[in-house]
Amino acid sequence: MSKISSDDVRAEVKKFWDFLSRKLKSQFAEMYLSSATVFAADARRMELARLMLVRRERELLGPASFVAAKLGSIDVQPLGANLAIASYPFHLSITRTRAGGKRYQSEVPCGRATQVFQRDEKGVLRIIHEHMSSAEPVSSKELPPTDPPARV
Amino acid sequence: MTKISSEDIRKEVHRFWAILSGNLADKLEEMYSPTAIVFTGKAKRSESAKLMAARRSRQLPGPAHSSIAEVGAMDVQIVGTDVAIAAYTYSFNTQKVLANGSKVQINTTFGRATQIFQRGEDGALRIVHEHLSAAAPPALEKAGG
Repeated sequence: MSKISSDDVRAEVKKFWDFLSRKLKSQFAEMYLSSATVFAADARRMELARLMLVRRERELLGPASFVAAKLGSIDVQPLGANLAIASYPFHLSITRTRAGGKRYQSEVPCGRATQVFQRDEKGVLRIIHEHMSSAEPVSSKELPPTDPPARV
Repeated sequence: MTKISSEDIRKEVHRFWAILSGNLADKLEEMYSPTAIVFTGKAKRSESAKLMAARRSRQLPGPAHSSIAEVGAMDVQIVGTDVAIAAYTYSFNTQKVLANGSKVQINTTFGRATQIFQRGEDGALRIVHEHLSAAAPPALEKAGG
């Protein structure tokens, strides 16, 4: 099997944000290995990716939600033939739908991401661990029920 | 090469926090691979671990002000023969001397850490990537003494 290139990893990172912003649920879920673990930006504890996916699907991938991200420079650290780490800053604008239907618009101006990719048995790069955080407090505001999703 | 065990990784994580707390005289720089990249608590961008470790070493607490670190539940994923991912929560209470000479106590209650270790050719486990963050901003208070 060929060695993982930095370009391969950068392409996967861009796919990840593209799937999320276009709300492509199944493609987005397939980015993670079944054993993957995740620190979400606002979570106090780590969780299994499959649990995080249920929440992201409910809050971020519904019709009234919105996700837009601008990525900074992506550093790639290859670790052997089947593993690589991507780390990068990002700016995120989201409209999230909470349980009960309330919607919140949030800005994450100084997001930071670490994503560890591993090649699966078919040779596909998938996330085995993810750590998202924010260097600055996230600003959030509740939207009136009738507002369409904000676009930034 | 000996396969990495979860126990090996847990020991390294505890060694890291013992150094950072001022309870162990080992050199922090030696815990990192020369090419390691880190995201520290509030930095907007990643940086070379070399630079960060030199800065942290200068700020390590003296014997009179040792910090307190508590490592929470840790998940260790062994990936292949020579890489492991440690992900865990932590709390860290430390003192910092400000430019005006006053001291502040910084309490990070909801710390979250990802540290990726790789075994080198010399057999030593070193951090190749680190991401430290907090789910809530650290609490600052004026310190006595």
